[in-house]
Amino acid sequence: MRRNPWATLLTTASLWLSGSGFLAAQAPPPYSRTLETYTVPEVVLVNQDGAKVKLKTLLDSGEPVILDFIFGTCTTICPVLSAGYANLQTKLAATPSKVHLVSVSIDPENDTPKVMRDYLKRYRAKPGWDFLTGRREDIDKVMNAFNAYIPNKMSHYPLTLIRDPKTGKWIRIYGMMSSSEFVAECRKAGIL
Amino acid sequence: MSGWRAVPLLSRALAGALGLLLLAAPAVAAPPGKPKPAGTVAGLPVDNALALGERMYRLGLLPSGEPMSSVVNGDVPVAGTAFSCSSCHLRAGLGSWEGGIVTLPTNGARLAIPRYWKFPNLSPEERRELKLQNPAARPAYTDETLAHLLRTGRDPSGYDMHSVMPRYDLSDPDMALLINYLRNLSVRPSPGVVGDTLRFATVIAPGVSEEDQQAMLVPLNNYVARHNQFSAGFGNRMYLGVGGNEMSGAYRKLALSVWRLSGPPETWPAQLDAFLAKEPAFALLGGIAPGEWKPIHDFCERAKLPCLFPITDLPAVSDTDWYTQYFSKGYYQEGQAAARYLHGLDDPNPTRKVLQLVQDSPEGKALAQGFRETWAELGRAAVPETLLPEGKPLALAALEELLAREKPSTVLLWTGSSAFPALAALTQGATGAFLSARLLGGQLTNLPEPVRSQVWITYPYREPKLEAKYSLYADTLLGGLKQRNPETRISTRTYALVQILRQALMDMDRHFYRDNLLDRIGMQRDQILPDYLRLSFGPGQRYASKGCFIMQVGPGPSPSLLRKSEWVIH
Ligand code: HEC
Repeated sequence: MRRNPWATLLTTASLWLSGSGFLAAQAPPPYSRTLETYTVPEVVLVNQDGAKVKLKTLLDSGEPVILDFIFGTCTTICPVLSAGYANLQTKLAATPSKVHLVSVSIDPENDTPKVMRDYLKRYRAKPGWDFLTGRREDIDKVMNAFNAYIPNKMSHYPLTLIRDPKTGKWIRIYGMMSSSEFVAECRKAGIL
Repeated sequence: MSGWRAVPLLSRALAGALGLLLLAAPAVAAPPGKPKPAGTVAGLPVDNALALGERMYRLGLLPSGEPMSSVVNGDVPVAGTAFSCSSCHLRAGLGSWEGGIVTLPTNGARLAIPRYWKFPNLSPEERRELKLQNPAARPAYTDETLAHLLRTGRDPSGYDMHSVMPRYDLSDPDMALLINYLRNLSVRPSPGVVGDTLRFATVIAPGVSEEDQQAMLVPLNNYVARHNQFSAGFGNRMYLGVGGNEMSGAYRKLALSVWRLSGPPETWPAQLDAFLAKEPAFALLGGIAPGEWKPIHDFCERAKLPCLFPITDLPAVSDTDWYTQYFSKGYYQEGQAAARYLHGLDDPNPTRKVLQLVQDSPEGKALAQGFRETWAELGRAAVPETLLPEGKPLALAALEELLAREKPSTVLLWTGSSAFPALAALTQGATGAFLSARLLGGQLTNLPEPVRSQVWITYPYREPKLEAKYSLYADTLLGGLKQRNPETRISTRTYALVQILRQALMDMDRHFYRDNLLDRIGMQRDQILPDYLRLSFGPGQRYASKGCFIMQVGPGPSPSLLRKSEWVIH
C-alpha cells in the first residue's frame, strides 16, 4: 500500500509544532490476564530495611496486595514495571485505598537491603511498597509457587499479580500495562 | 515496495520543514553518521557538550540538573532519576535482550546505517560482500528523524517502537546534546583491535613466584593458542549463522602480551601507561599481584581499560567504578560475611559485644573494613578495633587479659595461624572467635583441637568435599603445566576467566568497544565454575561471587570442614 508522505508529514509536523512537540506514546501491546489460585509458601524474606518478613502473613493478610518479580540491576523490564508501581502509588495517594505493593527480588545475591533501598529511592517509592530478598532456595520457592520460576534471571518476563482480597484468588497479568489499564485492573479486582 | 521508497523522501521533507526549529542548534544539522567535527554543539564546547550528553544518557539528568521526563507504556510518566537510556541500552549503547524484549542498539555506528530485519548487524558493504539482500527495515537516521523517534517513538520507516521505549520530552538544545552524544557513542572500534587480531595483555606485579605466574599464564596462553588454531581457516565467516545469529566478521585472532611491572607500586601507573602506549590492548585478562590491586585498578579507570578477573583477594571495593570486573571482594567479603552472619543470629535488641583484633596488613585491614562497613549498614553500633603489629604474633597472655577485661561475646581475630597458641585463652570462657580461611591458608586444618568448637571460619569458596568435580575441567587448559596447586586456586580461577571471556567474545559480536565487553559480561547468566559457589552478573555488578560460608573445623588430625551456615549473602 502506498502511503502519502505529504499527508503524514503534515500531521506529524503539526503535532510537532503544537505544544511541547511531545506525543503521547502508544499503549503497550495487549497483555494476557488469567485468574489463578496460588499457595503462598512459608518462607521468611528480608525487606529493604533488613527486617524479616513472613511472606504468607504479608500476602494473605486480607489487605489488597500486588506482587511482581524484579531485580536491582535489571534492564528494560523491571524499570518499566517499577515505573508502573511508582505511578500507581501516586494515583492511589488521592484515594483511601491501602494497596500494598510487593516486589520480590530474583537476584538475591546482589539485592541486599541497601541495594533495594537505593532502588526504591530512585523510583521515589512511598511507604507501602516493599522490596523483598532472601535465601536463594526461598526465592525459588516463591517463584515456583506463583508459576514464575526462571533458572536464569536474564530471561525474566513481565508479570504482575493482583490478589483479590474477597476471593483470595490472584489475577495474573502477563505483559506490560499502561497506567489506565493498571488502575482498571485494580478496580476489577475490587481493591480500588 | 513503493511505501518503503517513500520513506527517505518523507524524512528529507521533514528535515526541510523542521529546519526552522533546528536553526538554534546548527550542529544538529550535520550529515548523519559522522562524528561531529571540532567546534561547538548547541553553543557549547565539544567536551562540555559530550559530558552533558553523557550525563543525560547515563544518569537521566538534563543539562539543567533536572531529571529528564518521559512516558512509557502509553501513559506512565517517568523521571530520569528512575532509569536512563543506559539502563536499557547499556553503557556502550549496543542494547540488551530480556524476556523477549529486544532493546535495539543506539550507538553512533548503528544509527548511521540502515537497520535490516534479517542479519541486522551487517553494514551495507558487508551485505554486498556476503550477497545478502534483505529489504531494509529503516533507513539511517538523520538527526531530525532521530529527534522525532526519541520524542514520538516512531522511526523513519513509520514503525512505532514498543511502548517500553520511553518517549522523551526534550527541548531542542537538550535534544541536540543527546544526539551529539549518541553520534559519538561506540562509533569507532576501541584501541587493541588491530587488523584481524584482538590484542589483550596481562599484568604481573613484582614478587609473584614463578610457579604462580605459570599457573595463570599457561591456561591463558593455551586458550589463546587453541582459539587461534581451532579457528584458522574459518576466517571471517567463522560465526555466520551460529544459532540463527549472524556474526560474520566477529571472529578475531587473539594475542596476549605480558606486562611485567617492577619496583614499588607508586611507579606502576607510569609503567602501565608506557606499556599501553606501546602495545594498545583491548582489555587486560587476569593479572596477578601479591598486594593490593588498587594501583592497577585506578590505572584501568583512568585509561578506560577493562580488566577481567585479576587474580587478587585485595581488590578495590567500589560501588561505582566501572572497568575492573572481579571474582569477589576478597578479604573484605569475608569480614562482610562475619557481620551478616552474626547479625542474622541476633534478636532485634542485641546485646552481643564484638571486638576486632586486626593484624596490621592489607589483608587484616580489608577484613576489618568489610566487617565494619557491613555492620554499620546493618544498623549496628561501631565495635572497638585493636591493631596488632605485623610480625608480632598475638600473645596468649594478651588475649587472656583482653577477654577478662572486655568480656566480649565474639572476637574477630583477623590474623594468621601465628595466633593459634593464643587461642587457648578462649577455652576459659564462652567467647566465640572468627578467623579467615584465606588468611589461615593451608594452616586452617591445624587449628588447635580444644578450641575448634569455639572458632568460626569465614570461608569464601564452595565446600571442599564438593569442589573436585567442578575444578576437574580446569585441567583441560593445563597442558604444559606439571600440576596445579589447588591451594592457590590460580589456575582454576584463570579457567573460570576463560569460560566467561569465551562467552563474552561471542556476545560482543563485531561491536568491538571496550564498554561493550563489560556490558556483555553484565548480561551473562549465572555461572557455576570452580572455586566460588556461584558467579552472578548484572549491568554494573563488579564482584561476581557475593557470599561466603561460615565453617567450623571438625575433629581429628586431618579434619574436614563442617558447614555452619547457608551461603551468607544478606
Ligand atoms: C526502559 C527501557 C528503555 C529506555 C530507558 C530507553 N530505551 Fe530506547 N529502546 C528501548 C527498546 C525496547 C527499543 C526497541 C523497541 C522496538 O524494537 O520496538 C528502543 C529503541 C530505541 C531506538 C531505535 C533504534 C533503531 O534502530 O531504530 C533508539 C535510537 C533509542 N531507543 C534511543 C534511546 C535513548 C537515547 C534513550 C534515553 C534518552 C532510550 N532509548 C531509553 C528501550 C529503552
